[in-house]
Amino acid sequence: MILHASGPVEVTIFQCAVHSIAEEMGAALRRTALSPNIKERRDYSCAVFDGSGKVIAMGDHMPVHLGSMPMSVAAAIAAIELAPGDIAILNDPYAGGTHLPDITMVLPVFLPGGSAPAFYVSNRAHHADVGGRFAGSMGPAEEIFQEGIRIPPVRIVRGGKLDREMLDLILLNVRTPREREGDLQAQIGACRVGEQRILQLAEKYGARRLQALIDELLDYSERLVRAELRTMPAGEFSAEDWLDGDGVTGIPRKIAVRLHLDPEAGAMHVDFAGSSPQVAGSVNAVRAITLSACFYVLRCLLAEDAPATEGILRPLTLETPEGSIVDARPPAAVAGGNVETSQRIVDVLLRALAQAIPDRIPAASSGTMSNLTIGGVDPRTGEPFTYYETTAGGMGARSGIDGISGVQTHMTNSLNTPIEALEYAYPFRVRRYGYRYGSGGDGEFRGGDGLIREIELLTNARMTLLTERRKFRPWGLQGGKDGEPGAAWVTKAGTTVHTELPGKCSRQISASDILRIETPGGGGWGKS
Amino acid sequence: MRIAIDTGGTFTDCVCLAAGQLRVLKLFSTPVDPSLAVMDALQQLGAGKGLNVRHGTTVGTNTMLERTGARVAFVTTAGFEDTIAIGRQTRARLYDWFAPVPVCLAPRELRFGVPERVSAEGEILSSPTDEELAALVDAVRASGAESVAISLLFSFANPETEQRVEAALRDLGIPVCASHRILPEFREYERASTTVVNAYLAPRMQSYLLNLEESIAEQYIGGRMEVMQSSGGIVPARLAVREPVRTVLSGPAGGVVGACQMARWAGFDRIIGFDMGGTSTDVFLADASAGGAERTRESVIAGVPIGVPMLDIHTAGAGGGSIARFDAGGMLRVGPESAGAEPGPICFGRGEKPTVTDANFLLGRLDSESFLGGNVHLDRERTEQMMGEQKGSLESAEEFAAGILRVVETQMEKAIRVISVERGHDPRDFTLVAFGGSGPLHACALARALRIPRVLVPDMPGALSAVGILLANVVRDYSRTVMLPGDAIESLAQDFGETKTFAELERQGEEEFAAEGLRGVPQRTLDVRYRHQGYELNVDFDPQVPGKSIEVFHALHLQRYGFCDAERPVEIVNLRLRMTAAGDHFAPRRSDLVPGDGRAAFYGERGVFFDGRFRPTRFYRREKLVPGDRIPGPAMITEYTAATLLPPGSSAQVDGFGNLVIAVDEEVRA
Repeated sequence: MILHASGPVEVTIFQCAVHSIAEEMGAALRRTALSPNIKERRDYSCAVFDGSGKVIAMGDHMPVHLGSMPMSVAAAIAAIELAPGDIAILNDPYAGGTHLPDITMVLPVFLPGGSAPAFYVSNRAHHADVGGRFAGSMGPAEEIFQEGIRIPPVRIVRGGKLDREMLDLILLNVRTPREREGDLQAQIGACRVGEQRILQLAEKYGARRLQALIDELLDYSERLVRAELRTMPAGEFSAEDWLDGDGVTGIPRKIAVRLHLDPEAGAMHVDFAGSSPQVAGSVNAVRAITLSACFYVLRCLLAEDAPATEGILRPLTLETPEGSIVDARPPAAVAGGNVETSQRIVDVLLRALAQAIPDRIPAASSGTMSNLTIGGVDPRTGEPFTYYETTAGGMGARSGIDGISGVQTHMTNSLNTPIEALEYAYPFRVRRYGYRYGSGGDGEFRGGDGLIREIELLTNARMTLLTERRKFRPWGLQGGKDGEPGAAWVTKAGTTVHTELPGKCSRQISASDILRIETPGGGGWGKS
Repeated sequence: MRIAIDTGGTFTDCVCLAAGQLRVLKLFSTPVDPSLAVMDALQQLGAGKGLNVRHGTTVGTNTMLERTGARVAFVTTAGFEDTIAIGRQTRARLYDWFAPVPVCLAPRELRFGVPERVSAEGEILSSPTDEELAALVDAVRASGAESVAISLLFSFANPETEQRVEAALRDLGIPVCASHRILPEFREYERASTTVVNAYLAPRMQSYLLNLEESIAEQYIGGRMEVMQSSGGIVPARLAVREPVRTVLSGPAGGVVGACQMARWAGFDRIIGFDMGGTSTDVFLADASAGGAERTRESVIAGVPIGVPMLDIHTAGAGGGSIARFDAGGMLRVGPESAGAEPGPICFGRGEKPTVTDANFLLGRLDSESFLGGNVHLDRERTEQMMGEQKGSLESAEEFAAGILRVVETQMEKAIRVISVERGHDPRDFTLVAFGGSGPLHACALARALRIPRVLVPDMPGALSAVGILLANVVRDYSRTVMLPGDAIESLAQDFGETKTFAELERQGEEEFAAEGLRGVPQRTLDVRYRHQGYELNVDFDPQVPGKSIEVFHALHLQRYGFCDAERPVEIVNLRLRMTAAGDHFAPRRSDLVPGDGRAAFYGERGVFFDGRFRPTRFYRREKLVPGDRIPGPAMITEYTAATLLPPGSSAQVDGFGNLVIAVDEEVRA
């Protein structure tokens, strides 16, 4: 490694400083938001970008957001000439977004005397409803127009002043406008916190030094990835895996990958040719998500404290067939691409890598976020409510260690809503929350167990499920057994009649009915 | 007579105030029964009637780190038994596929469900029958549990059922901890986790503290004991045993208070504390102009969340006694295993595994003549031989020793980064306050690596925690969840004899302090948020101008979070009252500086290993240095409790209080 005059110590300190800015934005967002999905579950991400839109720091938030946020910043830069005091907002998956509930804000940071932004700060938060046909905006839609309001990159704040007309337009299109307004305000605040911290940093370092540090940081990330790739065997490794269906038909959909490892150049080429064409249902992923999954996998191959920056992607070339399930085009519905297909893309990448570096790749984890949305009117207040939650499953076993039970894996790391926060905010009663014992795949090392969660509704409401790994189970590796598939049931009030629910559906549920979700276990590793 | 005693893994430090002077005593700890060293120390210091012992203990910390606490039964609402293990269903390390499987303090066979339910509004929807309670008691008894933690859903909103369960389980005769008493706040996992830690520590802490207090009372008429809490305040022992979770960081908290106090006298407000002891190292950051050491209600100790307020101390698992070894891949590792006081390092004559202390000794950085007043024989031949045998593929024992020091210093550096750089603080703006037995030995190397320009080695660095404990205030926190709209703020200042005002909390606090013959000074604050937010901001409350708190809240929200909205409805969540009775008043005397070179303290020149070779290094006795003396590196300044190493390029000056103030140069790169 080359030691520059600014030195590795200086770069490390700078890396930590920008990373802490991203973390601090996240803390501000969490501490000021209103919806349980943001304040309790931390379903948000924050990142810092340089003046050309390259990501230089990401908070330790949600991997699926993080890898795709650079596209949001690029889209905002392309669409609007942002001036000091402006903040852009967007959620359109076909213009920098990923799926409609994830709303992103981008703030340009101008240094004193500067005429162009020297940095951008950005945050993305998952809103519990953005309108559309299904309460919670995560249903089995057949085109994006049913999934909620689409916001292209526009200004929500102009010259420091909130654009009330724009905000009103958005709020009129959602089911829970008051909560949305509070959450959007929190996102604006978090952008400003990031801006303040960047300005302090710039004052300390001076603009020219900053640029040198940024360049060195990006180069350093790249060097780490290339060094890692140089240790891998050369060759081509192919794999495929399946989605149960798209929610409209029950036809399984394929994701195929061909990985070309070139240790000499320290490079990796990833080609998703052979993946299913885009489908009628909502499991289409835009390219940003596919790139995000690649980013995540590369990042995991590095040591724990390697910086997550744009430099990580430099050794990667990615090909995605246009109009496919991993590179969808309008007007495909995409709500599930972000949360379900993203996990399967990781699975298929791991399956390919397991051939190259078998000891370093874990068996498949639950592979679904088990998304549940419920919307209705709270009888206690007469106000509309929308609830969104993902339930963790089992982690795949590793060489030498069992998988962890009931834990978020790969592209998500959102918390659970505390039961005591959930019942305060929504007309539900949680009846059970525990491990689904025995659901992890057997093996020399066992896959982690999934979870069981039972919720009793205290009012009539609309329930939507968006889940996977019902037919195609989380696979074991090196002789380990597969994990148990997921399941969901409704028990009619006061009866013992259980109705099994399909993996993707939207149903009217009556007061006192009990909904039960069982999440998949992880695959086992090695023959037992 | 008041004596402060800080029990660490290796040493037990004692300080008392006699005739306006601080007197220090250092003994080896007696890990099997830490009270042996305590009683021995009291005798040696000539304790007499009316003795007041203030104690800082690592029993809690070590129990957590070593996982040697009680077999805890966890009792919760049926259907939720696993929630204590599931936690928040997140992984701690985002990009690590090989993270270890977390181990829950309450294993599956010790988790019990009670058929009951309380609603979010606090209404009892169902409750256990007496038969069901009896069955629970039988099941817990049969499980062989040594203590019980009870945390039912919504018990903070209505504790009635939890109290019934608690009463039933009391028959077992083992410690029973109920969550509505330990942490009456929402978020079931964090409340339960805090309660489980309390139960996990209870048997060991209770028997330890109560036995010790009894011994003190027996031996010294009228003798009583107080304990340092993790929040930096002192409480009577009988209160401390009720909630041992509040004393998890008892010893380290003393170090924070002591370091802040000493640094302030010396004129330094912004400090990074570096307390390197025998088994572990604590680091913290304090800025006196921003309210002193930071407190947190979101601590994680040994992987377990704890929701009661604590000083924000970061612990690294390596200290002077940490054992060095080569791992399976041939990499040199140091810690977390420690040689402790028994068997101790190789050079003490009993241990056989190389430690950080041995490495220091081998490189000439420990002076057998001055170490603990020369009372402990350090065995050079034994150390050379055993280090040589275990040096792996390295060329020499010296190279092995230098490698151990490099590894351990990198770990320390990382710990300091977590609390400074990673929280947006630039180390260059701070003074490194080094203490603990090994802190001053490693401080200059660390300061260099982090570009901290100045190191302060306080007078008596080996006993700073004890000094902090001696001088700490008696502090007790009272709080009440009120959930009032912002416009009800005027009512808080009035005395209706109601629970939703400060008056009642203050009466309680004053009575408790009066019972101990103390006069407490109240400090009132409010936790305020915008309605439906999940977190609050803490603002001062002045009964003369109650409305001001709300104005301050808006301003603080803008400053902290980038926006505020005076039109938006505000909620007052908690009232907080902190009662403080000042500790012993002690102001050290500042002497005039007389420029000097410390020649009276000079006692020899030895070889000390720097940058790959032994260099002639001047040795000084600290107790013979006088204010104004200036000593250039390379030098060693030795004293009873510790030794300060000045590398070439740095220089130390003795200030008016006897502290060493060291200017550290930036590392010269080849």
